[in-house]
Amino acid sequence: MSDLTTSEKLIIEPTFTTPEIRFDPAARHFFIGGNSYPENSLKFYGPVLQWVQNWASKHTPSSDTLTVEVKLEYFNTSTAKVLLDLFRLFESLHEKGQPVQIRWIYLKEDSEMEDAGLDYQAAVRVPFELVPVNE
Amino acid sequence: MDWLCRLRQDFFYTFALDVLCMTVSYEHRLLFRHEGPLDMEVLPLLVHTADKALQKEGAKPPLRRRIVSSLIEVAQNIIRYAAVDEKYPPLLMLSRSDQGFVLIAKNLIHCSQEFFLHAYLRNLIQMPREELERLYYNTLTEGSYSDIGGAGLGIVQVLFKSDSFEHELMPAEGEYSWFTIKATFLL
Repeated sequence: MSDLTTSEKLIIEPTFTTPEIRFDPAARHFFIGGNSYPENSLKFYGPVLQWVQNWASKHTPSSDTLTVEVKLEYFNTSTAKVLLDLFRLFESLHEKGQPVQIRWIYLKEDSEMEDAGLDYQAAVRVPFELVPVNE
Repeated sequence: MDWLCRLRQDFFYTFALDVLCMTVSYEHRLLFRHEGPLDMEVLPLLVHTADKALQKEGAKPPLRRRIVSSLIEVAQNIIRYAAVDEKYPPLLMLSRSDQGFVLIAKNLIHCSQEFFLHAYLRNLIQMPREELERLYYNTLTEGSYSDIGGAGLGIVQVLFKSDSFEHELMPAEGEYSWFTIKATFLL
């Protein structure tokens, strides 16, 4: 990951089994999208969590809302767990005064994804919007 | 005595297949079947194949998600925990019936895992759906990761995402057993 990470942004390109991740702190925008079923989710997401944590520890809250967009296709259960860890990082940032908005984007007719979003919405104390889309 | 061991192994292989797969072979329409080495390079192809086949069959997104997510979980359990024997590779199969779809996974495990697996599954299977969902949610929010990065949720998810779930453990050659699961997803 280090070759794809600059001090400004976190950028990870997608593979068949791992998602695209883009975190642009200056734009207050975090995006994760695509498939996520790495064999070892901790190995893949550990550095991402670390990166966000490092950034958060140095970040001074501002009034601009940090938007976290999640648009996943297929993901495994260990990713489901890591996602919650990620949301909790943003939750702690929110508790320190940084406005955060999580947007869970899913296909309108996919009630399974809606349910997954509702589970996360119930598990974290941060504005969490479910965003159904047609495509 | 090698031929005898081989015959015994072939018998159990065929028998284990028959018990859970016979209805699939004769009454269901096969959508895909993979019998061979399984790793993280092969898995995306299986996921893609299953997803396309389910789309072609007109399965709606929530049903597709339940089936493909279950396929990912059982396949990753095989990749993580199955015993490897080139002669008897794992099997993954998806078929269509009038009522829905059937996912079958079959692999060798070391017999030392049999007792734990049987007890673990017996405990899960007897849980009411609400309790399974609660277990899933509690493990998701409070549980820890395994040493190999799993969340310990895979089989729980397959159980509560499927409409019926059966499993079998059959003796195989030497220190191994066949582990077969059959998950049915109704339309």
